[in-house]
Amino acid sequence: MFTKIVRAGQIVFLRIEDAFNKIFSSEQNILYYHGAMPNFFMWILFLSGLLLFAYYMPTLEGAYQSVEYITHKIPFGDMIRGIHRYAADAMIITVALHALRVYFTDRYRSYRIIAWYSGIALIFMMTLIGISGYILVWDERSYQIVIKVSEFLAAFPIWGQTWSHAFINDNSISNYTMSMALFLHTGTSFTLLVMLWIHYMRISRPVVNVTWALGCLLSGIILIFAGLMPATSGPEAVLIATPTYFDMDWFYLWIFPVMDYLGNIWTWVALAVVTLIAILLPEFVKSRDDEPATVNKDACVGCKLCAVDCPYEAIYMAPRTDGSKFKEIAIVIDARCAECGLCVGACNFDAIELPAHVSTDYMDKTRMILEATV
Amino acid sequence: MGKNKVVVIACERSVNLDNELEGKHGANLKDVDNAYVVRVPCSGIIQPRMIEKAFKDGAEGVIAMGCQIGDCHFREGNKFCRERMLGMRPPVIKKTVPKNRLKGLWMSEVQVSSFKKRVRDFQDHVAVELEKEAANAS
Repeated sequence: MFTKIVRAGQIVFLRIEDAFNKIFSSEQNILYYHGAMPNFFMWILFLSGLLLFAYYMPTLEGAYQSVEYITHKIPFGDMIRGIHRYAADAMIITVALHALRVYFTDRYRSYRIIAWYSGIALIFMMTLIGISGYILVWDERSYQIVIKVSEFLAAFPIWGQTWSHAFINDNSISNYTMSMALFLHTGTSFTLLVMLWIHYMRISRPVVNVTWALGCLLSGIILIFAGLMPATSGPEAVLIATPTYFDMDWFYLWIFPVMDYLGNIWTWVALAVVTLIAILLPEFVKSRDDEPATVNKDACVGCKLCAVDCPYEAIYMAPRTDGSKFKEIAIVIDARCAECGLCVGACNFDAIELPAHVSTDYMDKTRMILEATV
Repeated sequence: MGKNKVVVIACERSVNLDNELEGKHGANLKDVDNAYVVRVPCSGIIQPRMIEKAFKDGAEGVIAMGCQIGDCHFREGNKFCRERMLGMRPPVIKKTVPKNRLKGLWMSEVQVSSFKKRVRDFQDHVAVELEKEAANAS
């Protein structure tokens, strides 16, 4: 049943991609850039965020006014703000697409496990960036977010109070709270780059950039949204009044309705369960028997082609010490090997082989088949 | 006249041929005469020598088939295979290989019927090429 659903999902992806290939060609197929798209939006966010940062004031009195100033007084300020907001939403959408696609096409486990775990961490970090970003506006919604997050943190056993206190950054909401929100927003954003480095580990030549044409298309979509539906603030937060305005952004603020519905403790439980399922998901599938590629010392000429072509950084070249006339030999890191055979295809000397898929066996099979037809 | 003998070295993740093969070695493609399939884990494993060998062993045309370019389970297998066949990536195919009777086919799992049509078209192409070669030789 479970495998059937995964299969069906894969077929759906393949059919849509096939259609896109026919319309856009495979080079410009947006679905083949499912990992590069969030990256593209991330750079847009860094750039637009930098522009917003120049005029932002992280104080209780100044925050709301400075955002209003950016929106209404700075030339194209409203566009920059809109771009920042919609690029963030687009990033979550494309991350979801990326996650679903790698899941359904079975490209997330075993030799890709680092990418899966770091991907989970990246989603958490993005959500934190999003939530703290909505605090910075300091309208009534921001005020509610601060209250709800501090209560939510306080509900965690033992350390909760400390976390909550650290988040408020004072005994009550103050300018320090705003500093903390700005720190969480920008600090986590830059940490994103570190996590992305981990995300790309063991992937040779990751596809991190979309093509020019797709970049223009994606920018255009963001511009249209920013122009037609400008990002606006609600009423300014007043600490002594009860805030009511809460315009929903389902991509980043989904946790607040969950908190309202489940209560803080059960939201923690639900979060833990969902995260645990995500982490354990790769374990539900039985892995193949490991039979990594093996190098035949006598045949290897040290040409480096397999090491260059390996898509998972599983092969490196080491100096030879056995008195051979060749200087280097290819070494396979077994734990990284995906058993894909790309190194076999790159080797003209039968020096590297997959034990389960020996290249000469395929040649023999071809010969047998052809002989049988005579 | 029978169709020309064509060997398809196919990635097992591209066109789904699970129910499309028959014969003694489980290699004969159903509904297409004289088309034989050898399945490999990824088109990236196809060595230029495998293609050379197939021609030497009596194939009149060879197709290397992988998934659609841009979509490889192992990231770059089909891209590399294609580049090797085009002479853009070492190791490249020897000049003695009749490249006019060699074809790269990049199709996804769901394109079974379209795949068979492509193979038949390729057989027609091979027939034409062989005629040309015979005319040149004489």
